[in-house]
Amino acid sequence: MEKTIIDAGSRSILPNFGEVYRYRQLLFSLAWRDIRVKYAQTYIGLIWTFINPIFNLIVLSFVFGVVAKVDTGEVPHLLFTIAGLSAWTYFSTLLSDAGSSIVGAQSMIKKIYFPRIVIPLSKAISGLVDFGVTLICLFALMIYYGYAPGPYIIWLPLFLLLALFSGLAGGILASALSVRYRDFGFVIPMIVRLGLYATPVAYQASAVPESYKTLFYLNPMVGVVEGFRWSLFGTNPPDPMMFYSIAIIFVVFIIAVMYFHKVEATMADIL
Amino acid sequence: MSDIAIKVEDLSKKFSIGSNTHSTLRDTLSNVLSKQKKEEFWALKNINFDIKKGEAVGIIGRNGAGKSTLLKILSKITRPTSGRIEINGRLSSLLEVGTGFHPELTGRENIFLNGSLLGMSKAEIKSKFDEIVDFSGVEKFIDTPVKHYSSGMYVRLAFAVAAYLNTEILLVDEVLAVGDAEFQKKCLGKMDEVTQRGKTVLIVSHDSNIIKSLTNRAILLNKGVIKSIENSKNIFDVYYGQDEISNYIRFDNAPLKSVQVHYVDRLEIEVDLNIPDNVDVPHFCFMISNSSGDIIGANNPKYEKLEIPVGENQSKMTISVDSPRLRYGKYFLSVWLADGAKNIFVSRDCVSFDVTTSGKNDRHLGFIIPQFDLNFDTR
Repeated sequence: MEKTIIDAGSRSILPNFGEVYRYRQLLFSLAWRDIRVKYAQTYIGLIWTFINPIFNLIVLSFVFGVVAKVDTGEVPHLLFTIAGLSAWTYFSTLLSDAGSSIVGAQSMIKKIYFPRIVIPLSKAISGLVDFGVTLICLFALMIYYGYAPGPYIIWLPLFLLLALFSGLAGGILASALSVRYRDFGFVIPMIVRLGLYATPVAYQASAVPESYKTLFYLNPMVGVVEGFRWSLFGTNPPDPMMFYSIAIIFVVFIIAVMYFHKVEATMADIL
Repeated sequence: MSDIAIKVEDLSKKFSIGSNTHSTLRDTLSNVLSKQKKEEFWALKNINFDIKKGEAVGIIGRNGAGKSTLLKILSKITRPTSGRIEINGRLSSLLEVGTGFHPELTGRENIFLNGSLLGMSKAEIKSKFDEIVDFSGVEKFIDTPVKHYSSGMYVRLAFAVAAYLNTEILLVDEVLAVGDAEFQKKCLGKMDEVTQRGKTVLIVSHDSNIIKSLTNRAILLNKGVIKSIENSKNIFDVYYGQDEISNYIRFDNAPLKSVQVHYVDRLEIEVDLNIPDNVDVPHFCFMISNSSGDIIGANNPKYEKLEIPVGENQSKMTISVDSPRLRYGKYFLSVWLADGAKNIFVSRDCVSFDVTTSGKNDRHLGFIIPQFDLNFDTR
């Protein structure tokens, strides 16, 4: 028989992972709800999902491809940009959805107990649907341009996983911070807008001057986007600086989970 | 293994008024600089009790007594400030029926969503699915988005999901206040069955019938402390005798400023209103109960709507109730203010009045003294 001890005195600094695992069905139920609700709002919902990335694509292709004519190697600029943008869009959507998820679920949090971290985590799953659709479009374009993915394609899931962890790290942290400080509702969109240009979505990371490199790779998505394109087109392999990005992702992720756990205790009282 | 299901030791919960709400960075910065003193209040203070396995226990008390806080702590929604709780068995709570339902999803999808919110696995939900649908009586609409459901159907489905959960301990908070009479009976039957099967149940309710028929023991809370733990049959005597309730009450910062009752042949309820302008179609409900907690009568907003007309938000209203002759004793009035969809303000048993017309030695049966005319038809 299950035994629960609630003790005001003792409190671990790490969340109860066993409990999160027991609630795994909720992870999928919440993701399914998000997907269903988005697409239940008829075809408009579906269109809006893609308007933003398509808009970004047009702007980036025009500015970097037509006006600045950046060097994208042998890969056509459009293909180059879509590949980068698909990873970036998954990350940024996850960051903002997870970031606002706790404040958005306050009525549930105040009335039912479940491990709260499941809410931001579920956004990583629901975002995969849009990502999958983008990937299919990308493969269609690759066929059109006569590109066959090389052997590096097996690394694609790894880079997707890194995008997932980056998005979750930022999203979980923001969702916990916004419980007390609603200001973060404004910070995330700013980061996303800035990040689109601070990430080599429409240009090559190698175009960045050496002196800025350390600063540049502070953005974990730099390595992810580069690696993403490498696994698809076999272009320049990611810079070793990428490991530095990965380290940042995991450090932030651990801090985010621990901070979330700390805030979790008072979430229902503060919201 | 012990036969204790829930053991609560020295449980306290403190809230800091004002500072616990969400704030901005600016507030935090200015708080750090000025070291403002927070106002604190204890929602629960040094609570101790044991509940045995298979026992059904009621929790009663006035508004603000700490009942909901206690259930929220037991169900882990909020953490205690101090104290320790030991829970033996899987616990689930029915704090507000339908939380987590999404209007766009169908009944079927909501069953899965709600079941997993309560910690059930997919297989578990599947194995109970037919029973849940059957109990709720919404088979025909199971693949319709619940936004098209009537509120009754909504509640029935939500109750069914929670009632069929495989848990050893069930916490229930006033859920039976909703739904039609027939369904309430069904729920009560289900709850009874639940306790018969050896589950431990904790019920918060104001309805003495529910407490008396479903539980053996009850805990009376008053202002955060346990006033009494007693046989459910007797607890309402303590509840109604616990402090002087006058025929007048003032509320601070509430949509009702004050309520006053008079009883001389008929009942007069005077209410001083202070309803914010943004409340849509405010209406008022009242309920009269006796000192055993039996409900003598109430207006049902479905039939006798006490709607407050536009522009009367800040006035005084008087309700005159033609009542049948009541027996000798003390009576209590509960008041509600609701808009079209939900309660805005509730105060249970906030004012009382005495009926003395029938005399102290009244030996009548029942709640009222029938008034009758006698006629002989001579053949």
